[in-house]
Amino acid sequence: MLKGKGIKAIVSMIGLDGHTTGGEIVARVLRDAGFEVIYLGATQTPEMILQAAIQEDVDVIGISSHASNYIQIEYLVELLRKNEMSDVPVICGGNIPKHVAKQLKGRGVAEVFPPGSSSADIIGYIVANARGAQRRSA
Amino acid sequence: MKRETDYGYALKSVYGPEDVAGFDYSRDLNDPGGYPYTRGYYPEGYRSRMWTQRMTAGLGTSVDANKVLKKYRDMGQVGGICVISDRVFSDCIDPDHPLGRREAGVLGWPGCSLLEFEEMMEDIPLTGQSITLLGSSAPSTLRLAYVVALAQKRGIDPSKIHGSVMESPFENYFGQTDVSPFDLNLKLFLDASEYVLRNKIRMRASIISQHFQESGGNSAQALAVNLSMVKEICGRLINERGLDFDTTSLLPYELVSVGTRFFEEIAKMRALRRMYARMAKEEFGAKTEKACQLLMAVHTSGRTMTYQQPLNNIARCAIQTLAGVIGGCSALDNATLDNAHSEPSALAARMSLNTQHIVAYESGAADVVDPLAGSYFVEALTNKVEEEGYKIYNEIQAMGGMVAALKKGFIQEMLSAEAAKKFREIDGKERLVVGVNHLVIPPEDDFEIPIQEVHSQDSETIANRMAEWKPTRDQKLLNATIGQLYADARKDDRFNLMPSIIEAVKAYATVGEVMGVIRKGRGLSYDPFEMIECPFTFE
Repeated sequence: MLKGKGIKAIVSMIGLDGHTTGGEIVARVLRDAGFEVIYLGATQTPEMILQAAIQEDVDVIGISSHASNYIQIEYLVELLRKNEMSDVPVICGGNIPKHVAKQLKGRGVAEVFPPGSSSADIIGYIVANARGAQRRSA
Repeated sequence: MKRETDYGYALKSVYGPEDVAGFDYSRDLNDPGGYPYTRGYYPEGYRSRMWTQRMTAGLGTSVDANKVLKKYRDMGQVGGICVISDRVFSDCIDPDHPLGRREAGVLGWPGCSLLEFEEMMEDIPLTGQSITLLGSSAPSTLRLAYVVALAQKRGIDPSKIHGSVMESPFENYFGQTDVSPFDLNLKLFLDASEYVLRNKIRMRASIISQHFQESGGNSAQALAVNLSMVKEICGRLINERGLDFDTTSLLPYELVSVGTRFFEEIAKMRALRRMYARMAKEEFGAKTEKACQLLMAVHTSGRTMTYQQPLNNIARCAIQTLAGVIGGCSALDNATLDNAHSEPSALAARMSLNTQHIVAYESGAADVVDPLAGSYFVEALTNKVEEEGYKIYNEIQAMGGMVAALKKGFIQEMLSAEAAKKFREIDGKERLVVGVNHLVIPPEDDFEIPIQEVHSQDSETIANRMAEWKPTRDQKLLNATIGQLYADARKDDRFNLMPSIIEAVKAYATVGEVMGVIRKGRGLSYDPFEMIECPFTFE
């Protein structure tokens, strides 16, 4: 049962964050669930992630964050908005404190998954909320 | 629930003499202080040398880091300082770089010039305690240059300083990525290593399995990877830089990641001492006893610190600290209870440091050397992890060593598969983690912990200060030293750049400038992100 079939996702670190382990695991989990994953890796600026999202026409952007550089995530959301791509949800995972998660969600991040989140939670959320989810479920 | 080691060895319910059949005390263990050092390097253990109890510092400005270091000293941390760099310094760009502006001082110390190091070290001695500066591999030469330059300024002989400021280029493959190419990182790492060895500066280099294991590698793999990395670096220093093994053996130190699987962690540390000693003697023909001893520090495992019910991490940290101490280490720094949330708060840092103090002074674990020696279980585990480690080690050697195995993608694939397996085991509840996939409570029932705030406005402050300060430097001296560095960087790979890097650093060249010019000299772009131009002109 491949829940992610037909959904295209970017998985990336952002800015100068060089912690790749979490992102690699999530990329693998999503691929195993049938998603088409564009794994960008480390040292990706918000501009580079935006470009990739446009070129690859993705349905969701996943940012693995372990460097406390939340300002970069907020900037990515702003760039998407300016480029009329707010329908592509940005979801984050990693060691993000609760109050920052709340703040990020207030500024347009769709969801924040803390460490210890299960693959079922992550997959379920994306399937229900990625761009085109309503079209797919119809 | 799985009852097996992390490398897949099924544990029996009880161990006895048959599990250590053929055991030979003098061959396999020997007394503490005797080859193959399974039981440690000192006959008197911690009675003769207590481990260095330390916490990692670095956040905000250099002045902030200085305050924290002074506070740690007041809290009893006098054996050494340990500072971690921010991502800007780790990627060898300056805070006033467009990307640096958003992240300077966010994840560590913004040590992008000698000025920052001077500010951080104000009223803190360079000698009499170990100086450890962490970060990524790429700026290793800069961190070394700061220490040498500040020593010279203070009129101290650099050979009187000890600690560790260099990191091996392998970490880039273990989830601690910086932006510099591997070949450049390796060349500069060898330059810095050769420099400290020839000048008898007692600076160790981290050639460590910690990042590998924290990224998901298992214990047997960590042993194999650690030995293979040390073998590769020592081999290159011997073959390419003309040093002998007994000299190069003074370079590496190992940082062991110690998790909650208590006995397995102790077995791993004992096995590593024995395996290293054998490699030194049998493969490299080590002449001195010291050359058979791999200096080992411990970092308790950050990846085991849970987001859910963070106070539980105090218990995990205590178990891990006790394992690290019984396993035998020269220094220990702890993960903190808030590791899965943020950078350590003052409360979490104090808690972790005090965990060490409690183990050191209250538990009795420091009184007797290698207290678990002779335990059927621990000896069997030590043999087992060694056996499994050797299988992987031999595979890596058959490929031509660590660099060859990396170029083939073997190490990356092994690590990635193992990390995925670890995730699946927790996801499928084969391994239980209290509060995460077992005995879970609703998030609203959790106790709140203090969270260390990160102030993004600090980044702008740090960036603006650097931008304003740069033009105030002695431009003539700066240009001359940068010109020399550029000329040297164009020479062959074995030409050591350390002397010209030190001169440039003394002229307050920044990390972005030093690395940019070296990159340019090697035909790369000045800026790894290709966002800014080289401000220097060369004839």
